[in-house]
Amino acid sequence: MNVARNKQPFDAGRAAYLTLNGLLLTFLLAPIAIVLVFALNPTPYISFPPVGVSLRWFEKFFRTPEFTNALWLSLWIAGCVLVLSIVIGGACALALARGNLPGRSFLTAFFMSPLMLPAILTGLALFQSYLLAGIGRPVWGLIMAHTLVSVPYVIRTTLAVLHNFDRRIEEAAAVLGASPTRVFFEVTLPLIRPGVFAGGVFAFIVSFDQFPVSLFLVVPKGETLPVVLFNYMKFDLDGAIAAASMVSILLALSVVLVLERLIGLKAYVKL
Amino acid sequence: MAIASRPSPIAWLLAPALLLFVLFFVLPFGVMALMSFYSGNPATNSNAFLTTRHYERFVFDSAGIYHDALWATLRIGLITTIVSLLIGYPLAHWMARMQSRLGHALVLMAVIAPMLTGIVVRTFAWMTILQDKGVINTLLVDWGIVSKPLPLMYNEFGTVVALVHIYVPFMVLTLTGVIGRIDERLEQAARSLGAGRLRAFVEVTLPLSLPGILAGSLLVFALSISAYVTPSLMGGTDVLTLPMLIAQQVGTSFNPNFAGALGVVLLLVSLLIVIAYNRILARLSGEQGLA
Repeated sequence: MNVARNKQPFDAGRAAYLTLNGLLLTFLLAPIAIVLVFALNPTPYISFPPVGVSLRWFEKFFRTPEFTNALWLSLWIAGCVLVLSIVIGGACALALARGNLPGRSFLTAFFMSPLMLPAILTGLALFQSYLLAGIGRPVWGLIMAHTLVSVPYVIRTTLAVLHNFDRRIEEAAAVLGASPTRVFFEVTLPLIRPGVFAGGVFAFIVSFDQFPVSLFLVVPKGETLPVVLFNYMKFDLDGAIAAASMVSILLALSVVLVLERLIGLKAYVKL
Repeated sequence: MAIASRPSPIAWLLAPALLLFVLFFVLPFGVMALMSFYSGNPATNSNAFLTTRHYERFVFDSAGIYHDALWATLRIGLITTIVSLLIGYPLAHWMARMQSRLGHALVLMAVIAPMLTGIVVRTFAWMTILQDKGVINTLLVDWGIVSKPLPLMYNEFGTVVALVHIYVPFMVLTLTGVIGRIDERLEQAARSLGAGRLRAFVEVTLPLSLPGILAGSLLVFALSISAYVTPSLMGGTDVLTLPMLIAQQVGTSFNPNFAGALGVVLLLVSLLIVIAYNRILARLSGEQGLA
């Protein structure tokens, strides 16, 4: 087939197909590149074309306590979410894949449902529950809310890994005399580790970038970075926002590379 | 199939997740539904009574804004879904049929990278592109194509553009999985029997990918009707969606009970979509099992 394709001197249909897809990729990536341009452009307001390169907006971002406090809070929450969702999601995926549970597909759909139901409603429902319980809006409440919407990613990546590896490896270990506990710790756990970690990294990003779930659950002076950025953007669009965006884009990009190394991005394609 | 057997001890590992989901997901949604039938907060206000007035307020809609908001939400969701499908399909097809592993990995990264960038950041990116002094308008004015900036933002158009950018990766990922599972030889057979490339695609690949189209569309629709950040930043005063209305009720009107009622309406719409989506997904994985 490839040979036949190469014989034709110019394939207009294929050229159009590739051009179209090139344009679509540009549509996906250009906005992110443009943010970088504005983050480095020294003019006080967003303006195009850029006139130069400077780091003044990064300086402003890192010198404004409003931003840095929010950045640290977001990183701290995301770190907690990472640990919690690894433990809870990893365990849950193991139970789903190996627990012989009745109604497995229903349970899986149930644990994935926070991703499909409106996140703003998850925030609203938790806000009202905390209100009813009279506990205010504690940081741990926000962490649990983020964990809820992050756990599905860990479950998904771990299930993908569990799905791919040969169950006979575990059976072989058992046949050779390993106790179930030993099989679990020495065979199953090391095998699913990349899936669990990849999910954890994803959970970190989901929490770090989380907006709709946080909206009703943050307190004034205790807002996470996306909420601070959102409120700032309503009134002011300057390079500081671009710089802040750049910080989170760089974080995301490094995560993509880590994920690709850990388990390959393909695990995210399968639902 | 396997004979039904008893759950193994490993099943206990489900307990933490189950606890998390009951306490912070099922119960809160129950609370939200309950609060939507109360006049106030029954924990702090002993005069709070049961009422259906929040729902009456939505149904009778004397101010004429709630129904409009519902329609705007559904309309924006529908347009976003259709455009995402038109944009997502070629990309998904390209990715699914790509021979080179490196090329595949690179395109996949390009699709996933925007997903990993926060919604607030991506909306900001579109604001810098579409606003009056943004990239597009500056270029158009400088080149003399238009005399004054086009209204690309603070309306439904800008909202849809940014929403498509945010949700198209979900469409691509869903479709890629489905198209990848279609045997390429079917299309080749159609072509060797004399069908042109376009006809082979329209009559073989496209119908076979229909479940993926449906699943991806439902997913994007469910996500875009619940969007809050993008419509409130890109929509200006032109756009009012259900999630924006909910945030207003909590933030400025401080009427969480009415917000709850609006939430229940949005939840019901979403639940219908999620159930349909899961049906299709279950059927897809069933077919995969038989193949």
